[in-house]
Amino acid sequence: MSTGAAAIGAERGPVPREAGIGLRFPHHQAVLDEQPRVAWLEVHTENYLGGGTPLAYLEAIRRDYPVSLHGVGLSLGSAEGLDLGHLDRVRRTVERIAPALVSEHLSWSIAEGRYLADLLPLPMTEEALGIVCRNVDRTQTVLRRRILVENPSSYLRWRHSTIPEWEFLAAVARRTGCGILCDVNNIYVSACNHGWHPSTYLAGHSVRQLEGSRVLRIDDHGSRVIPQVWELYAEALARFGPVPTLIEWDTDLPALAVLVDEAARAAALLDCARQKIADANAA
Amino acid sequence: MPTLLEFQRAVGRSIIAGDDAPAARHILSDGLPPQVRLGIYRNNFIATLTAALRLCHPAVHRLVGAEFFEGAARIFIAAEPPRRADLDAYGEGFPEFLAGFSPAGALPYLAGVARLEWAVNRALHAPDVEPLDLARLGAVAAADRDRIVFLPHPSVALVEADHPVDAIWRAVLAQDNDAMAAIDLDAGPIRLLVERRATGVEVTRLEEPAWRFAAALCASQPLWIAIAAAPEVDAATLLAEHLAAGRFIGFELVDGPITSCLHS
Repeated sequence: MSTGAAAIGAERGPVPREAGIGLRFPHHQAVLDEQPRVAWLEVHTENYLGGGTPLAYLEAIRRDYPVSLHGVGLSLGSAEGLDLGHLDRVRRTVERIAPALVSEHLSWSIAEGRYLADLLPLPMTEEALGIVCRNVDRTQTVLRRRILVENPSSYLRWRHSTIPEWEFLAAVARRTGCGILCDVNNIYVSACNHGWHPSTYLAGHSVRQLEGSRVLRIDDHGSRVIPQVWELYAEALARFGPVPTLIEWDTDLPALAVLVDEAARAAALLDCARQKIADANAA
Repeated sequence: MPTLLEFQRAVGRSIIAGDDAPAARHILSDGLPPQVRLGIYRNNFIATLTAALRLCHPAVHRLVGAEFFEGAARIFIAAEPPRRADLDAYGEGFPEFLAGFSPAGALPYLAGVARLEWAVNRALHAPDVEPLDLARLGAVAAADRDRIVFLPHPSVALVEADHPVDAIWRAVLAQDNDAMAAIDLDAGPIRLLVERRATGVEVTRLEEPAWRFAAALCASQPLWIAIAAAPEVDAATLLAEHLAAGRFIGFELVDGPITSCLHS
Protein backbone atom coordinates (compact mmCIF):
# COMPACT_ATOMS: atom_id res chain seq x y z
CA MET A 1 0.00 0.00 0.00
CA SER A 2 1.07 3.56 -0.53
CA THR A 3 1.35 4.29 3.19
CA GLY A 4 3.92 1.47 3.48
CA ALA A 5 5.97 2.91 0.64
CA ALA A 6 5.78 6.34 2.24
CA ALA A 7 7.04 4.98 5.55
CA ILE A 8 9.98 3.23 3.87
CA GLY A 9 10.69 6.37 1.87
CA ALA A 10 10.84 8.45 5.01
CA GLU A 11 13.38 6.02 6.47
CA ARG A 12 15.44 5.95 3.34
CA GLY A 13 16.17 9.65 3.46
CA PRO A 14 17.94 11.33 0.56
CA VAL A 15 19.09 9.67 -2.63
CA PRO A 16 22.34 7.68 -2.27
CA ARG A 17 25.68 9.09 -3.41
CA GLU A 18 25.50 6.79 -6.41
CA ALA A 19 24.42 6.96 -10.03
CA GLY A 20 20.75 6.89 -11.02
CA ILE A 21 18.86 7.29 -14.29
CA GLY A 22 15.87 9.19 -15.64
CA LEU A 23 12.81 6.96 -16.00
CA ARG A 24 10.33 7.38 -18.86
CA PHE A 25 7.03 5.58 -19.56
CA PRO A 26 8.42 3.10 -22.11
CA HIS A 27 10.76 1.69 -19.44
CA HIS A 28 8.20 1.25 -16.64
CA GLN A 29 7.64 -2.45 -17.20
CA ALA A 30 11.31 -3.21 -17.95
CA VAL A 31 12.40 -1.60 -14.66
CA LEU A 32 9.89 -3.70 -12.70
CA ASP A 33 10.83 -6.90 -14.58
CA GLU A 34 14.59 -6.50 -14.83
CA GLN A 35 15.39 -4.52 -11.66
CA PRO A 36 18.39 -2.85 -13.33
CA ARG A 37 21.44 -2.08 -11.21
CA VAL A 38 20.96 1.65 -10.79
CA ALA A 39 20.87 3.37 -7.43
CA TRP A 40 17.87 5.66 -7.96
CA LEU A 41 15.37 6.90 -10.52
CA GLU A 42 14.14 10.33 -11.52
CA VAL A 43 10.78 11.04 -13.20
CA HIS A 44 9.13 14.21 -14.49
CA THR A 45 6.57 15.22 -11.87
CA GLU A 46 4.12 16.54 -14.46
CA ASN A 47 3.74 13.06 -15.98
CA TYR A 48 2.37 11.73 -12.68
CA LEU A 49 -0.14 14.35 -11.58
CA GLY A 50 -3.27 12.34 -12.38
CA GLY A 51 -4.04 8.77 -11.44
CA GLY A 52 -4.36 5.52 -13.33
CA THR A 53 -1.52 3.54 -14.85
CA PRO A 54 1.42 5.99 -14.62
CA LEU A 55 1.00 6.55 -10.89
CA ALA A 56 0.34 2.85 -10.24
CA TYR A 57 3.65 2.03 -11.96
CA LEU A 58 5.51 4.70 -10.03
CA GLU A 59 4.14 3.39 -6.72
CA ALA A 60 5.29 -0.12 -7.63
CA ILE A 61 8.75 1.07 -8.73
CA ARG A 62 8.96 3.21 -5.59
CA ARG A 63 9.02 0.04 -3.48
CA ASP A 64 12.35 -0.98 -5.07
CA TYR A 65 14.12 2.32 -5.77
CA PRO A 66 14.48 5.78 -4.25
CA VAL A 67 12.59 8.10 -6.60
CA SER A 68 13.19 11.76 -7.41
CA LEU A 69 10.32 13.94 -8.65
CA HIS A 70 11.76 16.45 -11.11
CA GLY A 71 9.28 19.19 -11.99
CA VAL A 72 9.14 21.35 -15.11
CA GLY A 73 5.92 23.27 -14.52
CA LEU A 74 6.07 25.25 -11.27
CA SER A 75 7.60 28.31 -12.92
CA LEU A 76 9.61 29.36 -9.87
CA GLY A 77 10.65 32.56 -11.65
CA SER A 78 7.17 33.90 -12.47
CA ALA A 79 6.62 37.45 -11.20
CA GLU A 80 2.87 36.82 -11.03
CA GLY A 81 3.45 34.10 -8.41
CA LEU A 82 2.92 30.37 -8.46
CA ASP A 83 -0.09 28.57 -9.93
CA LEU A 84 -1.44 27.29 -6.62
CA GLY A 85 -3.62 24.69 -8.35
CA HIS A 86 -0.53 23.21 -9.95
CA LEU A 87 1.40 23.34 -6.70
CA ASP A 88 -1.46 21.51 -4.99
CA ARG A 89 -1.44 18.75 -7.65
CA VAL A 90 2.32 18.42 -7.14
CA ARG A 91 1.76 18.23 -3.38
CA ARG A 92 -0.68 15.34 -3.78
CA THR A 93 1.81 13.38 -5.89
CA VAL A 94 4.63 14.15 -3.45
CA GLU A 95 2.51 12.90 -0.54
CA ARG A 96 1.57 9.72 -2.37
CA ILE A 97 5.04 8.83 -3.66
CA ALA A 98 7.12 10.12 -0.72
CA PRO A 99 10.08 10.77 -3.03
CA ALA A 100 13.69 10.92 -1.87
CA LEU A 101 14.08 14.20 -3.75
CA VAL A 102 11.90 16.93 -5.21
CA SER A 103 13.44 19.32 -7.70
CA GLU A 104 12.51 22.17 -10.03
CA HIS A 105 14.24 24.67 -12.30
CA LEU A 106 15.73 28.13 -12.02
CA SER A 107 13.55 29.42 -14.83
CA TRP A 108 10.07 30.66 -15.63
CA SER A 109 7.30 29.28 -17.84
CA ILE A 110 4.13 31.23 -17.10
CA ALA A 111 3.11 34.78 -18.03
CA GLU A 112 -0.41 36.20 -17.84
CA GLY A 113 -1.63 32.77 -16.76
CA ARG A 114 -0.39 31.15 -19.97
CA TYR A 115 2.05 28.24 -19.86
CA LEU A 116 4.84 28.79 -22.38
CA ALA A 117 5.93 25.12 -22.42
CA ASP A 118 9.61 25.87 -21.89
CA LEU A 119 12.14 26.60 -19.18
CA LEU A 120 12.77 30.25 -20.00
CA PRO A 121 15.86 32.03 -18.68
CA LEU A 122 15.39 34.73 -16.07
CA PRO A 123 17.03 38.12 -16.08
CA MET A 124 19.56 37.75 -13.28
CA THR A 125 18.50 40.79 -11.24
CA GLU A 126 17.91 41.54 -7.55
CA GLU A 127 14.16 41.77 -8.27
CA ALA A 128 14.13 38.32 -9.91
CA LEU A 129 16.19 36.90 -7.05
CA GLY A 130 13.59 38.12 -4.55
CA ILE A 131 10.74 36.66 -6.63
CA VAL A 132 12.44 33.27 -7.05
CA CYS A 133 13.15 33.12 -3.30
CA ARG A 134 9.52 33.95 -2.50
CA ASN A 135 8.27 31.22 -4.85
CA VAL A 136 10.77 28.65 -3.54
CA ASP A 137 9.74 29.51 0.04
CA ARG A 138 6.08 29.03 -0.86
CA THR A 139 6.80 25.71 -2.59
CA GLN A 140 8.81 24.39 0.33
CA THR A 141 6.09 25.47 2.77
CA VAL A 142 3.30 23.76 0.81
CA LEU A 143 5.32 20.60 0.14
CA ARG A 144 6.68 20.67 3.70
CA ARG A 145 10.16 19.75 2.51
CA ARG A 146 13.29 21.17 0.97
CA ILE A 147 13.47 21.18 -2.82
CA LEU A 148 16.48 21.27 -5.12
CA VAL A 149 16.71 23.89 -7.86
CA GLU A 150 18.44 23.17 -11.16
CA ASN A 151 20.54 25.52 -13.26
CA PRO A 152 18.96 25.94 -16.72
CA SER A 153 20.50 25.75 -20.15
CA SER A 154 19.75 28.89 -22.10
CA TYR A 155 19.92 30.15 -25.65
CA LEU A 156 19.98 33.81 -24.79
CA ARG A 157 20.92 36.32 -22.13
CA TRP A 158 19.00 39.40 -21.08
CA ARG A 159 20.62 42.82 -21.22
CA HIS A 160 19.51 43.82 -17.76
CA SER A 161 21.08 40.82 -15.98
CA THR A 162 23.55 41.96 -13.34
CA ILE A 163 24.28 38.80 -11.31
CA PRO A 164 26.25 35.82 -12.64
CA GLU A 165 23.94 32.79 -12.81
CA TRP A 166 26.04 30.72 -10.38
CA GLU A 167 25.96 33.52 -7.79
CA PHE A 168 22.21 33.91 -8.28
CA LEU A 169 21.61 30.19 -7.71
CA ALA A 170 23.91 30.09 -4.68
CA ALA A 171 21.99 33.09 -3.24
CA VAL A 172 18.64 31.30 -3.74
CA ALA A 173 20.05 28.28 -1.88
CA ARG A 174 21.45 30.47 0.91
CA ARG A 175 18.25 32.48 1.42
CA THR A 176 15.67 29.67 1.12
CA GLY A 177 17.61 26.65 2.34
CA CYS A 178 16.91 24.84 -0.93
CA GLY A 179 19.51 22.54 -2.46
CA ILE A 180 21.13 22.77 -5.86
CA LEU A 181 20.64 20.31 -8.66
CA CYS A 182 23.74 21.05 -10.67
CA ASP A 183 23.24 19.98 -14.28
CA VAL A 184 26.69 19.58 -15.77
CA ASN A 185 25.40 19.36 -19.31
CA ASN A 186 23.43 22.59 -18.90
CA ILE A 187 26.58 24.32 -17.63
CA TYR A 188 28.39 23.08 -20.70
CA VAL A 189 25.61 24.24 -23.08
CA SER A 190 25.22 27.65 -21.45
CA ALA A 191 28.99 28.11 -21.29
CA CYS A 192 29.26 27.35 -25.02
CA ASN A 193 26.34 29.70 -25.83
CA HIS A 194 27.49 32.58 -23.69
CA GLY A 195 31.26 32.28 -23.62
CA TRP A 196 31.58 31.42 -19.94
CA HIS A 197 34.23 29.10 -18.62
CA PRO A 198 32.50 26.02 -17.18
CA SER A 199 35.08 25.81 -14.38
CA THR A 200 34.17 29.30 -13.21
CA TYR A 201 30.58 28.14 -12.94
CA LEU A 202 31.53 25.07 -10.89
CA ALA A 203 33.78 27.20 -8.69
CA GLY A 204 30.76 29.40 -7.96
CA HIS A 205 29.08 26.37 -6.42
CA SER A 206 31.80 25.35 -4.03
CA VAL A 207 30.11 26.92 -1.03
CA ARG A 208 30.53 24.42 1.78
CA GLN A 209 27.27 25.18 3.58
CA LEU A 210 25.49 23.44 0.72
CA GLU A 211 27.05 20.15 1.76
CA GLY A 212 24.54 17.33 1.48
CA SER A 213 22.10 19.27 -0.63
CA ARG A 214 23.79 18.92 -3.95
CA VAL A 215 23.03 16.49 -6.73
CA LEU A 216 24.73 16.33 -10.09
CA ARG A 217 22.75 15.75 -13.19
CA ILE A 218 23.89 14.95 -16.70
CA ASP A 219 20.97 15.65 -18.99
CA ASP A 220 22.22 14.87 -22.44
CA HIS A 221 18.70 14.85 -23.93
CA GLY A 222 18.98 12.58 -26.93
CA SER A 223 22.44 11.07 -27.18
CA ARG A 224 25.39 9.57 -25.31
CA VAL A 225 27.16 11.97 -22.96
CA ILE A 226 29.92 13.72 -24.88
CA PRO A 227 33.58 13.58 -23.70
CA GLN A 228 33.68 17.28 -22.73
CA VAL A 229 30.73 16.77 -20.39
CA TRP A 230 32.32 13.67 -18.82
CA GLU A 231 35.43 15.82 -18.19
CA LEU A 232 33.32 18.50 -16.59
CA TYR A 233 31.58 15.84 -14.48
CA ALA A 234 34.95 14.53 -13.28
CA GLU A 235 35.93 18.11 -12.40
CA ALA A 236 32.67 18.53 -10.48
CA LEU A 237 33.38 15.33 -8.52
CA ALA A 238 36.89 16.57 -7.73
CA ARG A 239 35.34 19.76 -6.39
CA PHE A 240 32.26 18.42 -4.57
CA GLY A 241 33.33 14.85 -3.74
CA PRO A 242 31.14 11.85 -4.59
CA VAL A 243 27.57 13.20 -4.77
CA PRO A 244 24.38 11.60 -6.08
CA THR A 245 24.44 11.67 -9.87
CA LEU A 246 21.71 11.28 -12.43
CA ILE A 247 21.92 10.35 -16.10
CA GLU A 248 18.97 11.60 -18.09
CA TRP A 249 17.96 11.19 -21.69
CA ASP A 250 14.90 13.25 -22.71
CA THR A 251 14.35 12.56 -26.35
CA ASP A 252 15.09 9.60 -28.65
CA LEU A 253 14.89 7.37 -25.59
CA PRO A 254 17.36 4.47 -25.97
CA ALA A 255 17.03 0.93 -24.63
CA LEU A 256 17.14 0.77 -20.85
CA ALA A 257 20.51 -1.02 -21.09
CA VAL A 258 22.10 2.07 -22.70
CA LEU A 259 21.04 4.28 -19.79
CA VAL A 260 22.22 1.68 -17.28
CA ASP A 261 25.54 1.60 -19.12
CA GLU A 262 25.92 5.39 -18.91
CA ALA A 263 25.07 5.23 -15.20
CA ALA A 264 27.77 2.57 -14.74
CA ARG A 265 30.25 4.98 -16.28
CA ALA A 266 29.24 7.69 -13.82
CA ALA A 267 29.42 5.10 -11.02
CA ALA A 268 33.02 4.28 -12.00
CA LEU A 269 33.93 7.99 -11.77
CA LEU A 270 32.18 8.17 -8.39
CA ASP A 271 34.29 5.20 -7.20
CA CYS A 272 37.36 7.02 -8.44
CA ALA A 273 36.40 10.12 -6.47
CA ARG A 274 35.86 8.03 -3.32
CA GLN A 275 39.25 6.31 -3.82
CA LYS A 276 40.99 9.67 -4.15
CA ILE A 277 39.51 10.80 -0.85
CA ALA A 278 40.52 7.52 0.82
CA ASP A 279 44.06 7.86 -0.57
CA ALA A 280 44.29 11.45 0.62
CA ASN A 281 43.11 10.45 4.11
CA ALA A 282 45.62 7.58 4.21
CA ALA A 283 48.50 9.84 3.19
CA MET B 1 14.71 48.50 -17.05
CA PRO B 2 11.35 46.69 -17.13
CA THR B 3 9.92 45.06 -14.02
CA LEU B 4 10.01 41.27 -14.12
CA LEU B 5 6.23 41.24 -14.62
CA GLU B 6 6.38 43.61 -17.63
CA PHE B 7 9.32 41.73 -19.05
CA GLN B 8 7.67 38.30 -18.77
CA ARG B 9 4.49 39.61 -20.41
CA ALA B 10 6.55 40.89 -23.33
CA VAL B 11 8.33 37.56 -23.76
CA GLY B 12 5.03 35.67 -23.44
CA ARG B 13 3.51 37.80 -26.22
CA SER B 14 6.54 37.16 -28.39
CA ILE B 15 6.22 33.40 -27.95
CA ILE B 16 2.44 33.16 -28.29
CA ALA B 17 1.62 35.95 -30.71
CA GLY B 18 4.92 36.50 -32.53
CA ASP B 19 5.15 40.12 -31.37
CA ASP B 20 8.96 40.11 -30.95
CA ALA B 21 9.96 43.77 -30.73
CA PRO B 22 9.17 44.48 -27.03
CA ALA B 23 11.07 41.37 -25.87
CA ALA B 24 13.88 41.51 -28.44
CA ARG B 25 15.26 44.81 -27.13
CA HIS B 26 16.13 43.11 -23.83
CA ILE B 27 18.28 40.42 -25.45
CA LEU B 28 22.06 40.64 -25.64
CA SER B 29 22.86 40.27 -29.31
CA ASP B 30 26.05 38.29 -29.40
CA GLY B 31 26.13 36.34 -32.64
CA LEU B 32 22.51 35.47 -33.39
CA PRO B 33 19.90 38.21 -33.92
CA PRO B 34 17.42 38.45 -30.98
CA GLN B 35 14.47 37.47 -33.21
CA VAL B 36 16.22 34.21 -34.08
CA ARG B 37 16.79 33.42 -30.40
CA LEU B 38 13.15 34.16 -29.55
CA GLY B 39 12.21 31.99 -32.53
CA ILE B 40 13.92 29.00 -30.86
CA TYR B 41 11.56 29.32 -27.89
CA ARG B 42 8.51 29.95 -30.11
CA ASN B 43 9.23 26.87 -32.24
CA ASN B 44 9.71 24.78 -29.12
CA PHE B 45 6.41 26.09 -27.70
CA ILE B 46 4.51 25.08 -30.84
CA ALA B 47 6.31 21.73 -31.18
CA THR B 48 5.72 20.77 -27.53
CA LEU B 49 2.02 21.66 -27.62
CA THR B 50 1.50 20.04 -31.02
CA ALA B 51 3.03 16.85 -29.61
CA ALA B 52 0.71 17.07 -26.58
CA LEU B 53 -2.34 17.43 -28.88
CA ARG B 54 -1.13 14.57 -31.06
CA LEU B 55 -0.67 12.32 -28.00
CA CYS B 56 -4.29 12.68 -26.97
CA HIS B 57 -5.68 12.73 -30.52
CA PRO B 58 -3.87 9.87 -32.32
CA ALA B 59 -6.91 8.96 -34.44
CA VAL B 60 -7.54 12.57 -35.53
CA HIS B 61 -3.84 12.77 -36.42
CA ARG B 62 -4.08 9.68 -38.64
CA LEU B 63 -7.36 10.78 -40.22
CA VAL B 64 -6.04 14.16 -41.39
CA GLY B 65 -2.32 13.41 -41.75
CA ALA B 66 0.67 15.04 -40.06
CA GLU B 67 0.82 18.18 -42.20
CA PHE B 68 -2.86 19.07 -41.82
CA PHE B 69 -2.74 18.25 -38.09
CA GLU B 70 0.25 20.51 -37.51
CA GLY B 71 -1.39 23.35 -39.42
CA ALA B 72 -4.62 23.02 -37.45
CA ALA B 73 -2.71 22.67 -34.15
CA ARG B 74 -0.72 25.84 -34.83
CA ILE B 75 -3.91 27.90 -35.26
CA PHE B 76 -5.52 26.30 -32.19
CA ILE B 77 -2.41 26.86 -30.03
CA ALA B 78 -2.29 30.56 -30.93
CA ALA B 79 -6.01 30.90 -30.12
CA GLU B 80 -6.01 28.82 -26.93
CA PRO B 81 -2.54 28.62 -25.35
CA PRO B 82 -2.46 26.38 -22.26
CA ARG B 83 -3.55 27.69 -18.88
CA ARG B 84 -1.93 24.83 -16.97
CA ALA B 85 1.55 23.37 -16.87
CA ASP B 86 0.39 19.75 -16.92
CA LEU B 87 -0.03 19.19 -20.62
CA ASP B 88 -2.13 16.06 -20.09
CA ALA B 89 -4.89 18.59 -19.40
CA TYR B 90 -4.23 20.63 -22.58
CA GLY B 91 -6.58 20.53 -25.54
CA GLU B 92 -10.06 20.47 -24.05
CA GLY B 93 -11.16 23.02 -26.64
CA PHE B 94 -9.57 21.22 -29.60
CA PRO B 95 -12.70 19.20 -30.60
CA GLU B 96 -14.84 22.37 -30.72
CA PHE B 97 -12.09 24.12 -32.65
CA LEU B 98 -12.11 21.29 -35.22
CA ALA B 99 -15.91 21.45 -35.43
CA GLY B 100 -15.62 25.04 -36.63
CA PHE B 101 -12.48 24.58 -38.73
CA SER B 102 -13.72 24.82 -42.32
CA PRO B 103 -10.72 23.07 -43.99
CA ALA B 104 -11.78 19.93 -42.05
CA GLY B 105 -15.31 20.12 -43.50
CA ALA B 106 -14.74 17.07 -45.73
CA LEU B 107 -14.59 14.89 -42.59
CA PRO B 108 -17.91 15.63 -40.82
CA TYR B 109 -17.13 13.03 -38.12
CA LEU B 110 -13.71 14.52 -37.25
CA ALA B 111 -14.87 16.66 -34.31
CA GLY B 112 -16.83 13.68 -32.95
CA VAL B 113 -13.72 11.49 -33.04
CA ALA B 114 -11.82 14.31 -31.30
CA ARG B 115 -14.50 14.53 -28.57
CA LEU B 116 -14.20 10.78 -27.98
CA GLU B 117 -10.40 11.00 -27.86
CA TRP B 118 -10.56 13.88 -25.37
CA ALA B 119 -12.89 11.82 -23.14
CA VAL B 120 -10.48 8.86 -23.38
CA ASN B 121 -7.53 11.12 -22.53
CA ARG B 122 -9.41 12.57 -19.58
CA ALA B 123 -10.27 9.06 -18.35
CA LEU B 124 -6.63 7.96 -18.68
CA HIS B 125 -5.33 10.81 -16.52
CA ALA B 126 -8.20 11.27 -14.05
CA PRO B 127 -7.13 11.14 -10.40
CA ASP B 128 -7.57 7.91 -8.47
CA VAL B 129 -10.66 8.29 -6.29
CA GLU B 130 -12.31 5.59 -4.18
CA PRO B 131 -15.82 4.68 -5.35
CA LEU B 132 -18.84 5.55 -3.24
CA ASP B 133 -19.15 3.52 -0.04
CA LEU B 134 -22.43 1.66 -0.60
CA ALA B 135 -23.00 1.30 3.15
CA ARG B 136 -23.28 5.10 3.34
CA LEU B 137 -25.85 5.04 0.57
CA GLY B 138 -27.74 2.22 2.30
CA ALA B 139 -28.11 4.39 5.37
CA VAL B 140 -30.22 6.95 3.46
CA ALA B 141 -33.88 6.64 4.45
CA ALA B 142 -36.08 5.23 1.68
CA ALA B 143 -38.17 8.39 1.65
CA ASP B 144 -35.07 10.50 0.96
CA ARG B 145 -33.60 8.46 -1.89
CA ASP B 146 -35.22 10.51 -4.66
CA ARG B 147 -33.29 13.53 -3.39
CA ILE B 148 -29.87 11.97 -3.89
CA VAL B 149 -27.44 13.80 -6.18
CA PHE B 150 -24.46 11.66 -7.18
CA LEU B 151 -20.90 12.85 -7.76
CA PRO B 152 -19.48 11.02 -10.82
CA HIS B 153 -16.00 9.51 -10.87
CA PRO B 154 -13.65 11.98 -12.64
CA SER B 155 -12.84 9.39 -15.32
CA VAL B 156 -16.49 9.03 -16.41
CA ALA B 157 -17.69 10.88 -19.52
CA LEU B 158 -20.82 10.61 -21.61
CA VAL B 159 -20.28 11.36 -25.29
CA GLU B 160 -22.87 11.85 -28.03
CA ALA B 161 -22.01 11.85 -31.73
CA ASP B 162 -23.85 12.10 -35.04
CA HIS B 163 -21.60 9.41 -36.56
CA PRO B 164 -20.27 6.03 -35.40
CA VAL B 165 -17.11 7.65 -34.04
CA ASP B 166 -16.29 4.70 -31.76
CA ALA B 167 -16.08 2.36 -34.77
CA ILE B 168 -14.05 4.96 -36.71
CA TRP B 169 -11.73 5.50 -33.73
CA ARG B 170 -11.08 1.77 -33.29
CA ALA B 171 -10.57 1.12 -37.01
CA VAL B 172 -8.18 4.07 -37.40
CA LEU B 173 -6.08 3.12 -34.36
CA ALA B 174 -5.94 -0.52 -35.48
CA GLN B 175 -5.16 0.71 -39.03
CA ASP B 176 -7.87 -1.68 -40.17
CA ASN B 177 -8.95 -0.49 -43.63
CA ASP B 178 -11.57 -3.23 -44.00
CA ALA B 179 -13.27 -2.21 -40.76
CA MET B 180 -13.08 1.43 -41.85
CA ALA B 181 -14.67 0.64 -45.22
CA ALA B 182 -17.48 -1.31 -43.54
CA ILE B 183 -18.59 1.66 -41.40
CA ASP B 184 -21.96 3.14 -42.34
CA LEU B 185 -21.52 6.87 -41.79
CA ASP B 186 -25.28 7.40 -42.08
CA ALA B 187 -26.22 4.85 -39.40
CA GLY B 188 -27.43 7.65 -37.14
CA PRO B 189 -26.26 9.12 -33.85
CA ILE B 190 -24.56 7.08 -31.13
CA ARG B 191 -24.15 7.52 -27.39
CA LEU B 192 -21.09 6.40 -25.45
CA LEU B 193 -19.96 5.89 -21.91
CA VAL B 194 -16.21 6.39 -21.40
CA GLU B 195 -14.58 5.35 -18.14
CA ARG B 196 -11.39 3.97 -16.64
CA ARG B 197 -11.68 0.47 -15.25
CA ALA B 198 -8.94 -1.52 -13.49
CA THR B 199 -8.05 -2.99 -16.89
CA GLY B 200 -7.86 0.29 -18.78
CA VAL B 201 -10.12 2.83 -20.45
CA GLU B 202 -13.38 1.38 -21.80
CA VAL B 203 -15.68 2.90 -24.41
CA THR B 204 -19.18 1.38 -24.33
CA ARG B 205 -22.23 2.14 -26.47
CA LEU B 206 -25.43 2.81 -24.56
CA GLU B 207 -29.02 2.85 -25.78
CA GLU B 208 -30.37 6.40 -25.94
CA PRO B 209 -32.69 6.18 -22.87
CA ALA B 210 -30.00 4.56 -20.68
CA TRP B 211 -27.51 7.21 -21.83
CA ARG B 212 -30.02 9.98 -21.05
CA PHE B 213 -30.49 8.55 -17.53
CA ALA B 214 -26.70 8.30 -16.95
CA ALA B 215 -26.14 11.77 -18.41
CA ALA B 216 -28.72 13.28 -16.05
CA LEU B 217 -27.10 11.59 -13.03
CA CYS B 218 -23.60 12.66 -14.10
CA ALA B 219 -24.84 16.23 -14.62
CA SER B 220 -25.73 16.35 -10.88
CA GLN B 221 -29.47 16.02 -11.39
CA PRO B 222 -31.23 14.53 -8.35
CA LEU B 223 -32.37 10.95 -8.78
CA TRP B 224 -36.06 11.84 -9.17
CA ILE B 225 -35.29 14.17 -12.07
CA ALA B 226 -33.03 11.59 -13.75
CA ILE B 227 -35.83 9.02 -13.46
CA ALA B 228 -38.37 11.47 -14.82
CA ALA B 229 -36.03 12.26 -17.72
CA ALA B 230 -35.88 8.57 -18.73
CA PRO B 231 -39.24 7.03 -17.74
CA GLU B 232 -38.79 4.08 -20.10
CA VAL B 233 -35.68 2.64 -18.38
CA ASP B 234 -35.42 0.23 -15.45
CA ALA B 235 -33.79 2.86 -13.25
CA ALA B 236 -33.17 0.58 -10.27
CA THR B 237 -31.21 -1.93 -12.35
CA LEU B 238 -29.21 0.73 -14.22
CA LEU B 239 -28.37 2.55 -11.00
CA ALA B 240 -27.22 -0.72 -9.38
CA GLU B 241 -24.92 -1.30 -12.39
CA HIS B 242 -23.45 2.21 -12.15
CA LEU B 243 -22.83 1.80 -8.43
CA ALA B 244 -21.30 -1.68 -8.83
CA ALA B 245 -18.97 -0.30 -11.53
CA GLY B 246 -17.81 2.47 -9.18
CA ARG B 247 -19.01 5.28 -11.45
CA PHE B 248 -19.98 7.47 -8.49
CA ILE B 249 -17.68 8.61 -5.71
CA GLY B 250 -20.05 10.47 -3.45
CA PHE B 251 -23.54 11.90 -3.05
CA GLU B 252 -25.53 14.55 -1.26
CA LEU B 253 -29.19 15.17 -0.56
CA VAL B 254 -30.92 18.16 -2.11
CA ASP B 255 -34.43 19.49 -1.73
CA GLY B 256 -36.84 17.08 -3.40
CA PRO B 257 -40.18 17.69 -5.13
CA ILE B 258 -42.21 17.25 -1.92
CA THR B 259 -39.96 19.46 0.19
CA SER B 260 -40.06 22.10 -2.53
CA CYS B 261 -43.87 22.01 -2.48
CA LEU B 262 -43.92 22.46 1.27
CA HIS B 263 -41.60 25.44 1.02
CA SER B 264 -43.59 27.17 -1.70
